[in-house]
Amino acid sequence: MAKPTVASDWLAGCAGCHMSFLDIDERIVKLVELVDLRATPITDLKEPDKEGVTVGILEGGINNSHNEHVAKQMRARSKILVALGDCAVFGGIPAMRNFFTLEESLKRAYVETPTTDESGKIPSSPELAKPMLVRAVHEVVKVDLFVPGCPPDADIIFYVLAELAQGRMPKLENNNLMWN
Amino acid sequence: MVKITIDGKTTEVERGTTILNAARDLGIEIPTLCDHPELTPYGGCRMCLVEVEGIKTLQPSCTLPAGNDMVIHTDTQKVHNARKFILSMIFSERNHFCPSCQVTAGDCDLQNAAYDESMTHWPIMPNWQPYPVDASHPFIILEHNRCILCRQCVRACGELVGNFTLAFEERGADSNLIADLGLPLGESSCISCGTCLQVCPTGTLIDRWSAFQGKETELDKTKTICLGCSIGCGIDVLTRDNRLVRIEGDWDAEINGGVICEVGRFLPMVEERERLLTPMIRANGKLKAATWDNAISAAAEKITASKGNISGVASTRLSMEALNEFKAICDAYDTKSIATTEEFSAVSAVFDLAKSSGKAFESKIDEIKNADCYLMIGEDTTKDHQVISFFAKRQIPAGSKLIQISESPSGLDNFAVESLIIENNSQSAFIDAINNLITNKSGDTEKIAKTFKLNLSSLNNIVEVLSSAKIVAVIFGSRTNYDNAAAVLGSIISLNNQINGKLITTKGNINSVGASAIGINGAINIDDSELIILALGDEELSQNFSKKFEKSPFSIIFSSYISPLTANADIVFPVKNWLEQGGHFINLDGHIFEAKAALEAPEEVISCEESLSKLANVLKVKKQRSWKELVKETPAPVTIS
Repeated sequence: MAKPTVASDWLAGCAGCHMSFLDIDERIVKLVELVDLRATPITDLKEPDKEGVTVGILEGGINNSHNEHVAKQMRARSKILVALGDCAVFGGIPAMRNFFTLEESLKRAYVETPTTDESGKIPSSPELAKPMLVRAVHEVVKVDLFVPGCPPDADIIFYVLAELAQGRMPKLENNNLMWN
Repeated sequence: MVKITIDGKTTEVERGTTILNAARDLGIEIPTLCDHPELTPYGGCRMCLVEVEGIKTLQPSCTLPAGNDMVIHTDTQKVHNARKFILSMIFSERNHFCPSCQVTAGDCDLQNAAYDESMTHWPIMPNWQPYPVDASHPFIILEHNRCILCRQCVRACGELVGNFTLAFEERGADSNLIADLGLPLGESSCISCGTCLQVCPTGTLIDRWSAFQGKETELDKTKTICLGCSIGCGIDVLTRDNRLVRIEGDWDAEINGGVICEVGRFLPMVEERERLLTPMIRANGKLKAATWDNAISAAAEKITASKGNISGVASTRLSMEALNEFKAICDAYDTKSIATTEEFSAVSAVFDLAKSSGKAFESKIDEIKNADCYLMIGEDTTKDHQVISFFAKRQIPAGSKLIQISESPSGLDNFAVESLIIENNSQSAFIDAINNLITNKSGDTEKIAKTFKLNLSSLNNIVEVLSSAKIVAVIFGSRTNYDNAAAVLGSIISLNNQINGKLITTKGNINSVGASAIGINGAINIDDSELIILALGDEELSQNFSKKFEKSPFSIIFSSYISPLTANADIVFPVKNWLEQGGHFINLDGHIFEAKAALEAPEEVISCEESLSKLANVLKVKKQRSWKELVKETPAPVTIS
């Protein structure tokens, strides 16, 4: 039987969850014996295979039209979709901007920062993704497994991936459940 | 007794016991967010819902009294679904993002409740409605965005402290915690006792010092007593890496039952005095650092040379052990006087009376907690011995009446049925007059009212209240400046006997009773002494009081902190402060407490007891009898045990 395939991507997050994934250290060797690691932000392949993957992992919330597209594509191409980390699960730190209007946040970021001179303006190129309210992944697409944590501990990530690789659904409870 | 069965375990409980408490007795955990053992059940959060056989809907176990033959289930799918739904609703309001919160990782009841239900995410996302953050208070930050509306703080403020500062405005989703009628907390009637901080289950009420200093399991906790006044409230001192993080009231402490005041909780956090770190000896007009051995020899030499011409003054914040060492040295070298650092205190008058009457005449703190009338004389207990004012204020909703008599307006004026301004030196006569009115049920009330510049109705009301009350707590604030404290005390005792009251005098510092009981309570007499030995410890004397010692030709001081006194001294010993030293203390109602050290002292600094003992060794002072024996022999106004 072919090995299960795994793809991942990061959205509105800090990449910390992927760093925590790398913190599984030498256990990654064991993991690649069990799974075929496909498209991730840290491998050459950047988009999940068209023919689909077994497990799709998303880090970060959804804060613009591009993220929305990536999330929908990952959902469409994976059997099991995992929301990894507090941003993907709850919206996390980026979602704090939801307590303000989008205009206020953009103005604060591009015009009012202390290092911005009078030429500062909110970028409006049509090529750019359209910013929007920050949402948790499950507000946009169906999520099969939530792995909260800021970031989730490397041991928890390894447990989740090892279980999924062996065709079992991980149980996040007791010491494996952590929201911060 | 009623018989109930919870999760298959059957037990008998007193009628009126709630299902929640019955379950706790059986060791069955039911999660709660708004419940607190010290507060009246509220039934606000619905986390404690249980299934009761025969009742269609789930019932809140915290408010449901056990009924005979009730069968209850706490661990069914229906119950867990309800808990998850309640948590989802709470998370959908306000900002409950854990990573940026102060109490995350084990200290938050909300987070723990979600973990217990294995909630991996929020089924209902928040509505992104921002709330203000109130940082106007010097010690407390009120972060409304974390509030779950459990009202524990509101109930603690009213039921435990009797201050009623906190309340809720509006209804439903608009409900919001407010201080007074919507004032910033820092401008409100808040008395900074911090009880609200201690009960808050989330990160809503945060204290500025311990915020983000680590979770509770990473802190060391020392159970000890507060040395802020003579009550001796039980406290937990939380430290990390030998650094003070926060102080909390000890819920298990009998005397205070968990409440403490600003003096105990916050003032130690803002201690700004500079520490003394090495012994010093004055040479050529200047204080120079010295070794302990040299400083002790120099002090011993001076004491030997000045024998019979020495004054000893000790702080009543020192432990019994330290005071006993101090007294041994003073006795062996015939000090002219051996006094305490108490500026205004009627403690010696109280002890004199005990000596002449030969028996204890004061009540225990426990006896005044359920009084229906509080007569406060002399002291503003909202400033000093504050926890006593909590005991009185929290009884007011139950119908208890408070009468305040003092020289100037007090913080209790808004709570008292009658609040009288009577000069300290007229108080004795006034109390005699009241006593006469009560005893003889007659008297010229108009004349008395005129003499003491009172409304006739006030006077009549006081007589009426004192005559009709079942238990009158009579609190004599002895840390007050009286010309003749004995006269005021005499009048109070006559009145107390007449109305069968429970008398408590507030004494002064934590060990005022202890110092008096081993004979350290004479008047300060330093005018023509060659030498003063001042065992100050960590006490801070008022500027006026410090001046008394300025003229002294030679002074030896044991102090934790640098002060104008130590700058003027000739030999200075650096000693531990209250958090660094253990020892025994006798509080205002005669409890003997043992304090525990919570912090380690700086390297050269040793306890006052140890340094006095070094000195006593060099002076070859004979071993003194133990303080326990001395205390046993002295007639005291309170039963000491």
